[in-house]
Amino acid sequence: MQNEPVDVLIIGAGASGAAIAWSLLETRMRILCLEQGPHLKDKGYPSRDDGYELARYGNFSCDPNVRGLKQDYPINADDSCITPVNFNAVGGSTINFLGHWPRMKPSDFRTRSLDGVGADWPVDYDTLAPFYDMNDRNTGVSGLGGNPAYPDYAPELPPIPIGKLGQTLAKGFNARGYHWWPSDVSILSQDHDGRQKCVNAGTCDLGCAAGAKGGTNFTYWPMLENAGVELRSECRVREILVDEATGFATGVLYHGADGQVHEQMAELVVVACNGVGTPRLLLNSKSKAFPDGLANRNGMVGKNLMFHPLTGVAGVFDEPMLGHEGPMACSILSQEFYETDPTRDFVRGYGLHSGRSTPPMTYALGGYGVDSPIPWGAEHREAMDNVYPYLAGLTVVSEDLPEEHNCVTLDPDLTDSDGIAAPKITYRLGDNTRRMLRHGEERAKEILLAAGAKKVLSKGDDNVWWRAGWHQMGTCRMGDDPVTSVVNGWGRSHDVKNLFIVDGSIFPTAGAVNPTSTIQAMALFIGDCIKTNIETLFD
Amino acid sequence: MWTQTQRTLLDAILDELVPPSNDGTIPGAGALGVADFLPTADAFAPNPVDTTQAVMMALGESFVELTRPEKVAALHLIEAQKPDAFATLVRLTYMGYYSRPDTRPLFGVGAHPIHPQGYPVPREDEALMDELTAPVRARGKVYRDAK
Repeated sequence: MQNEPVDVLIIGAGASGAAIAWSLLETRMRILCLEQGPHLKDKGYPSRDDGYELARYGNFSCDPNVRGLKQDYPINADDSCITPVNFNAVGGSTINFLGHWPRMKPSDFRTRSLDGVGADWPVDYDTLAPFYDMNDRNTGVSGLGGNPAYPDYAPELPPIPIGKLGQTLAKGFNARGYHWWPSDVSILSQDHDGRQKCVNAGTCDLGCAAGAKGGTNFTYWPMLENAGVELRSECRVREILVDEATGFATGVLYHGADGQVHEQMAELVVVACNGVGTPRLLLNSKSKAFPDGLANRNGMVGKNLMFHPLTGVAGVFDEPMLGHEGPMACSILSQEFYETDPTRDFVRGYGLHSGRSTPPMTYALGGYGVDSPIPWGAEHREAMDNVYPYLAGLTVVSEDLPEEHNCVTLDPDLTDSDGIAAPKITYRLGDNTRRMLRHGEERAKEILLAAGAKKVLSKGDDNVWWRAGWHQMGTCRMGDDPVTSVVNGWGRSHDVKNLFIVDGSIFPTAGAVNPTSTIQAMALFIGDCIKTNIETLFD
Repeated sequence: MWTQTQRTLLDAILDELVPPSNDGTIPGAGALGVADFLPTADAFAPNPVDTTQAVMMALGESFVELTRPEKVAALHLIEAQKPDAFATLVRLTYMGYYSRPDTRPLFGVGAHPIHPQGYPVPREDEALMDELTAPVRARGKVYRDAK
């Protein structure tokens, strides 16, 4: 079935797809977005149910292999120590992300020049700063201005409460003389722009039924749909089509909500499926002109997959820490060990995040992102009565370096419910990252003890959290050199002049911060470049 | 779902997996009725009833007659012999136990669905935040310029 052509076709209604649609609104081009997931209805949020925590292990798991819903594609992570997690709906993974909103830092864009690793970005912090600001205004960001870990900027809304847990840990950081700061969050600390403030439910991963968290289903999409952007949900793109003569993208084939395969033509195609979904789609888009996948003449599509490998350390305190009250992953953030220090045995660095704790079921089952239930029997009783309520933890969030052998390819056997080849992840932890995580664990122990913990609990092994593949970056990296990168400095494919990529896959390096703020700032920057270059866009 | 004999055996097993507190204020998983949850748990494990029955059959009806130390020893033995089934039963037991609204308050967590009520957490006043951040601000800039 064929549909009327559009000017701009965006694939994916998550963080980046929504942001670039907003940026392109003023062009008055006809914009269509195809999203494989549904529009989530109010009753679809499990946090309104009595047994809400169960959903974390069923149809609201962050792991598509656990959810196994029609709109999900399976991911073969057998050859990886981290499995990618995501959500497929209007809003994408901003439905179940945790709303932590730190920006990348100036040095993150210059790791090759400064530290001899990774790759410099074609853009720098100063270029991106106005787009961070623009995106923050559209999203609603809470935090405390004056953070000495960044060039000066101030979130629009006051910080969310850091709570007893945050206050306790802050004293530990102060005792050690280390940096910390209340986390910047895309979570409303007060009613804002017609949305309700956070009620401190603590289950951000189950979707924010209040709309206080900055999921694009609550921020950008209401604006976009009111402005006339067409959004077709439950539409999964099978492949991007190309004109063999010109090498231009002509549109897509997609599986519609009606069960039929549709053809949708477009003048300009924007891919916004993030670090696993985007290379998967390009690799599935084979043609005579691109036998190894679209925009993949140099073989770089899918290479350099980066996550943010995590490990955690917890302290047991004398008083209940009430860690289940307040936004789940966000209280305070230390960037004391973020920048390269030549006295350490690793380059680049990491953040120490004080996430809060979970309700009791998740703790009993091993914690968020971990499948390792606590013991049964008498030890269970001891852990639940005398450890769980008194816990405050620190998570070590490390910067991954790009390595070509870490990659996304197509699985030869596994497919989604439409028969489209599923992605396969090949990923192993780098030695630099391993050393960084060990260093972080030791510092976290010191800080927890300085904060008054009577006991510190750490795994003491080299294993990272399994379901920690939130941040999927690098697999279609941007760069000025068409031999080593997939898109140019403003997101346009080197091979296909009317194909743009705007998600985390274009990151040349990963930084050590949650990437959504930067993904959206980059999408707005690319939108701005498209508008600026509109006359010569396809030259 | 369960016969009376099965239910007695299953409750005894569950009360060892999540035992009651010594002072009796927190019930065990058997007394709390987690046995009713298990047949409904097929969204979280394939064939939960078959899995549960495999553990029950391995332990046998005589399990209920054992002393507590003997029960614990018997469970450890089955855990070693049938690790997958046992691990699934443990996991489902925790899910059934802690998903109950009446269980959460025993661990300091609200019984209510988490939305719309949430929790009242006051924002720190400016003076406290100033005091806490003062040492951090006093140190000054902690990022590198990249120019």
